[in-house]
This record gives sequence, structure tokens and C-alpha cells, in this order.
Amino acid sequence: MRRARLLIPLAVAIVIAAACSTNTSSSGASTSGGPTEANTGKVNMLSAVDPKEGKTIQSQVLDPDINQAQSDYTVELEADGNFEQDVKIRAQAGTLDLAMLPQPGGLPDLVATGNAVSLEDMGFDIGQLEQTFGKPFMDLGVVDGKHYEIPTNINLKSMIWYPKDDFDKAGYTVPKTWDELMALSDQIVADGGTPWCVGFQSEGSSGWPATDWMEDIMLRTAGPDTYDKWVKHEIPFNDPAVLTAAQDFGSVMFHPNYVLGGAANTASLAFGDAPLPMFDEPPGCWLHRQASFIPAFFPDSAKAGVDYDWFPFPSMDTEGGPLFGGEVMMAFRNAPEVKDALTRFSGEQVQCDMGGYVGSSRISPNLQVSDDCYADQILKDSADVLRQGLQSGSARFDASDLMPAAVGTGSFWTGMIKYMQQGPDSIQGILDDIEKSWPSS
Amino acid sequence: MTTAATQEPGGGGTAEAVPPPRGAALWRFLLGLAGALAIPVGTFYLLWVTFDLLRRGHASRAIVVLVAIVIGSAGVFLLYFAVNRLVDLLPATLREGVRPWVFVGPALVLLSVFLVYPVINTVLLSFKDAHSKTFVGLDNFKFVFTDESMLRAIRNTLGWMILVPLTAVTTGLVFATLADRLRRGEAVAKSVIFLPLAISFAGAAITWRLVYSFRPQGFGSNIGLLNGVVIGLGQNPIDWLTQHPWNNLYLMVIMVWMQTGFAMVVLSAAIKAIPDEIVEAARIDGASEWQVFRRIIVPTILPTIVVVTTYMVINALKVFDIVFVMGNTEANGTEVVAERMIHWFFIGGNYGRGAAIAVVLFIAVIPVMVWNVRRFREEEAIR
Repeated sequence: MRRARLLIPLAVAIVIAAACSTNTSSSGASTSGGPTEANTGKVNMLSAVDPKEGKTIQSQVLDPDINQAQSDYTVELEADGNFEQDVKIRAQAGTLDLAMLPQPGGLPDLVATGNAVSLEDMGFDIGQLEQTFGKPFMDLGVVDGKHYEIPTNINLKSMIWYPKDDFDKAGYTVPKTWDELMALSDQIVADGGTPWCVGFQSEGSSGWPATDWMEDIMLRTAGPDTYDKWVKHEIPFNDPAVLTAAQDFGSVMFHPNYVLGGAANTASLAFGDAPLPMFDEPPGCWLHRQASFIPAFFPDSAKAGVDYDWFPFPSMDTEGGPLFGGEVMMAFRNAPEVKDALTRFSGEQVQCDMGGYVGSSRISPNLQVSDDCYADQILKDSADVLRQGLQSGSARFDASDLMPAAVGTGSFWTGMIKYMQQGPDSIQGILDDIEKSWPSS
Repeated sequence: MTTAATQEPGGGGTAEAVPPPRGAALWRFLLGLAGALAIPVGTFYLLWVTFDLLRRGHASRAIVVLVAIVIGSAGVFLLYFAVNRLVDLLPATLREGVRPWVFVGPALVLLSVFLVYPVINTVLLSFKDAHSKTFVGLDNFKFVFTDESMLRAIRNTLGWMILVPLTAVTTGLVFATLADRLRRGEAVAKSVIFLPLAISFAGAAITWRLVYSFRPQGFGSNIGLLNGVVIGLGQNPIDWLTQHPWNNLYLMVIMVWMQTGFAMVVLSAAIKAIPDEIVEAARIDGASEWQVFRRIIVPTILPTIVVVTTYMVINALKVFDIVFVMGNTEANGTEVVAERMIHWFFIGGNYGRGAAIAVVLFIAVIPVMVWNVRRFREEEAIR
């Protein structure tokens, strides 16, 4: 009987001890340089691309280039409509291998969760990566002296789209300066048309297309140096330079005849629906400023180079370079197959094929990828403009994507929506509010 | 050990009569604790080992799920069985003191792991900075009660808590009373009203987004139901969801639409449980139908009304999906507290603020719960 009484606590103690020991063995501390975990045969890749494009990437790029090229593991792309939230949850839960971050501004927060693995720890050669992708792009992901990302996609943002056939028929010419662009807008109004189609609604992320407008103008009125200071908060958000840019933006948006449907309604118009009137006969609008991915939202029947084409956002006070956004890939598990998948995904073969599938709008940040990879002339041209901008040093990364999340995906987005709804006089108060929301640390 | 052993002869058949000595109480506590822990820990260990094995062997997902179900149900049953048998081996003095813990314990352990621990951790986080590194005192709470958008969220949530239960319960009560008098088709009528409850909040919100849909002139025809009516009356279409402060009411309508059916079904059941004699006696005494409703039906089913209302108040306090799906909350002024919590946790990247909002929300629920429990106790006392 005495023995029996001892039995339960003893059994429990053994069970607890056993549970603890298996627990610690699989999450061992990482030593520098090289994978520390065993191959599990599967790599997941979380991404914000839409599910349709995700399937295309899986079947036309990942399966042939990675999954069939080796037999150690398979990569599975997860297209997640709720990426911003899920990536944080999964990073903390430890169920994430690779994540394609559409906004590098969120990177420090993810590193702060403690589960992100630096490229140094995985055994990557940073010097070589800097040659392949350019130092500025690699520097986007530096936290506490370690690199945490490899760029995998660029969007050219400074693009103005127009209905080419109607545009040529009406005798309009592509403007080279802001003044010419405004003159063209006036001409279109005089001819009885409406120049601009604008839509800023994007569900939980509403407002981002408006911040892109602001950034393009800021880069061209204040110049790249002031732009950089703005991004790093070395000048306040309510600085006169920012106010000027916002007012120039407002001069287009609040002009009584420029914007189809009026400025206030842009806040409730989905950004993907906004360019559609451009394809009406006659066109409901003639100009649409949006990044290189927007043709995915055009009608299926519209042909590139015939029904639509684009020109770069024109220069203003200064010769502004192209504005670009980009996606970077982060790793969250230090295992050999994760490293291999990351290497292959950012490598020439995959990057070339990513620009080659029908409907792709992906420009590769890998400098070894040749122009021949791209699916169409539009993508080729945008890659050219970007390369020139990057080489001359005038290209700038999307400011809101670099600012802290509270501003870049919060008050800046909301502020621009409020600006549209409340009218030109509200801007000073809105900029003051955004300045107040900048995190102190 | 020795104390327990020397006390043993005193036990046996007369254990209930004799108060258990100190040593036995200690043993009972320790054994109870062990018993309480044995099952959760055992289950965890069992699942851990099997999954580890399966993961290493690259098992297919179907097998993993199957194993989880088999071990999760049959394994846990066996564990209960085994631990119960072990309790039988204990001396009679201890046996019946330990046994309840073996059965209640696992629930308590799981409750503390999944409920108590997160609450404590959230409270801790609410006093720390955005990345939960340093303590910042009451800064996050200061933010909750000074930020313009947060104050609007609190105001809006109060509106939800008052208007939604009021409207849903009132309409539910009216429907229940009227449906009760239908000669035919009561089931059909009630089913139609009850139907929206089967839809998830997010699904309902997406449906209603089509009702409120708006497109500016030049962007195609308006497909929204409401704007269809407005245009039919010869007016210009309206962007419903940006009409502050009315847009808050438009969102509340969705929840009322969903919850009225629930209120109706529960209240209808309560009405049917009222003894016919009372109602008939009132009618014979010459009471009008309104008087019967006012003085007989409502007072009799009051406890049910209270329970339904509390349920709805808490639901309204937690509302998130509807507001989130409709989007643009800050610019439209439709923020609610739970939505701000998610916003700051996952979009704003500030865990401190997110946790502080969670704590405020948690504290706000307490009075409702206390009131509910107290009412429930009073009911029990009367019975």
C-alpha cells in the first residue's frame, strides 16, 4: 500500500521530466553560420499575392524550378489575403518558414518577435548578395547589424497609364513635365472629357494609393535628399516641404473638373475598379496613376500597347527619379531546406520565370536577370526605367513602406483618406495628426 | 510519510466520522494535485511524442489528423480510466478526497493554461512598450482614454451596447408575441427571421456591403440595393458607409438583423411556457390584450429577457467582424473597441496599446457578468 501511494507523484514527475526534455531538444540555441535544424521536407512560403496569381506562381515557377529540381523538400506558396496580420501570428507561433513581405517597413517588428533568422546566421555571403541585389536593397533589412531579407520583386510606382488608341486619335502627346501634364488635363477638360480616374479604397489598407501619389510629388518637389529625411523622420511630417507636396496633390484631386466622380468619392472607390472607365468608348477618363501591377485589374480584352500604355510620372521642380515598392523575403527557420529554397527563389532561374508568366507584373531586383525574361514590352520598359533610376541613384523606395507601421500602414493611409473626404483646408491639421502619431522610440 | 502511516489504522470504515488528521490532509492535497495534473500532462506528453514521431517520418496530413482524433479521445479516456484505478489503490481515508480532483482537475488546469495565464500576461503586456520590452507605466492606458480615435471607438461601442440589444430584443419580443397568435405558418415565419443567425458575422457583413454598395458617377451602374431604391426615386446615389455618424447605425442594423431571430426564438419559447390559466384568468377578468402583454406576459418572461439582453450586450461589446469587414474605420469614424484592439496588435504593431485596450474591454465585461450571475442566484433562491 505504501508503495502505491508513492506511485502517482513519481509517475507524474517522470512524465513531466520526459515532456520537458523532448521539448528543449528540438528548439536548441542557434550557433552562427549555417542551418541548425533538421530537414523536414517541407517549406511554406507566406505571401500577399492574390490566390489566382499564387496558383500560377506555384505551378509555373515553384514546381518546375524548385520542387522538381531537387528531391529533398517541396515548397508550397500560401497566398494570404490577410497577410499583415497572419505573418505576425505565424512568426510568433513558429509555424512559418519563409514570408514575402510586401512592405519592408514591417520588418523590424517581425525581427523583434525573435523568430526571424538573419542571413548571417543561415550562412549567406552578404558581400555576394550585395553584388547581386545592390547594397541599398540589402540595407533595407538591417536590424542591429544583421541582414534579415533578400529582395524578390520590385513594383515600379511612378507610372501614368492612358488609353493609347483613343489618346493618339484625340491628338494628345505624352507630357514630360508637371506643367505639361496639367496643360494636358486642361485640354482634356476643354474637349469635354474628364482627365483622371482615382480610387483609394483597399478594404483594411485603404489609402495606400494616395500615399503613393504624395510620395511621387514629394520626391519631385522637395528632391531626393529631403525625401530621405522625411522617411527617417529627420524633418517632421508637418514640415512645409510635405505641406507643399500635399497641396500640389490636392490641386489635382480637388480641381472641380479633373477627377471622375470627385475627390470625396475616391475614398470609397476600390483601387482596382478605378481604371476601368478608361476602357469605355469614349473613355470616361484618360489618365490613371498606379504601379506596374495594375494591368492585372484591366479588362481581359484590353491589349497592352494598343488599348493602353504608360508614361513615367513627369518631373516637377527637381528631376525626380522613379518611385518603387518592393517585396522582400524573410526566413523564420534555420534549416537547410529553407536556406536552399531562399537561395533558389532569389536566384536567376526563378527570378527570370517570375517575370515571364502571363499576367506577371514582377520586376526582378536580381541584377543578373536579363530583359528577355519579361512577359511583355510594358514590363521590359518599366524594368529599364527602374534600372536607370537605381544606377543613377535617383530612384527611391516607397516612403510609407519604410516608415514605422503606426504611420506607414496607419495614420498616413487614414490621413490621406480624410484629406480626400474633408477637402483642401483640412491638410494642415491632418499632417499635424500624422506627426503626432509617429512612435517616439 | 510516517505520520500518514501511523494514522492509517484510524481510518477504514469510520473515516467519515473522525475528522482527518493533518498529515492526511497534506497527503490528500498532494495526491489531489498530482491526480489533477496527471491527465493533462499525460495527454500532452502522449500527443507530443506521437506528433514528433509522425513529423520525423513525414506522415501525410490525413494520418496525423486520424492519430490526433484517436489519441485525443480514446487515449484521454484510457488515461482517466487508469488514473481512476490508481486512486482505488489509495487507502480509504484518502481515496474519496482525491478522486474529485482527478476529474475536475484537468478542466482547472486547462482553464488556467488557456484562460488565466493569458489574462495575466495581457495585463503585464499592457504596461509595456510596443515591443513588450520595457515597462512604460500607465502610458498605454493614457492613450486609450485620450486618443481621439479611441474615444470615438468607446463612444461607438457604447452605442452598439445600448442600441443593438434594445432594438433586437424589442423586435424579437414583438415577433414572438405576434407569431404566437398566428393560426398557421408560425414555424415558417419564425424560420425566416431566425435564418440570418446561421450566417457568420463576416459573411453577413459581406452580404450587407452589397446592400450599401456605392459607385460614383462614371464607374458603372450602382448595384447596391439601397442605392437602387434611391435612384428609383429619382435621387442621386449615396455613399452610405461614409455618412458619419449615421454609418454607425447602418452597421448596427446588420447585427440587429442577425440577432433578432435569436431573441425571438428564446422569448417565444418562454411565452409558450406561460401557463394558459393565468392568461385566460386575466382575459376573463376583462384585461385588454395590451394589458395581458404588459402585466402578464412581460413580467413572467422577464428573467428570459434579462438573459437574452445580457448575451446581446456582451456580443455588442465584442463586435469586430462587421466593422472590420466594412473597412476604412478611422476615416469613416466607425471604430469600435475590439476593432481598435486588433488594429493596434496586428496592424499598428503596438502590443502595449493592443493589450491595454484588451484589459479595458475585459474590465468592461465584468459588471455585466456580475449582474448576470447575481440575477441568476436570485432566481435560484426564489425557486
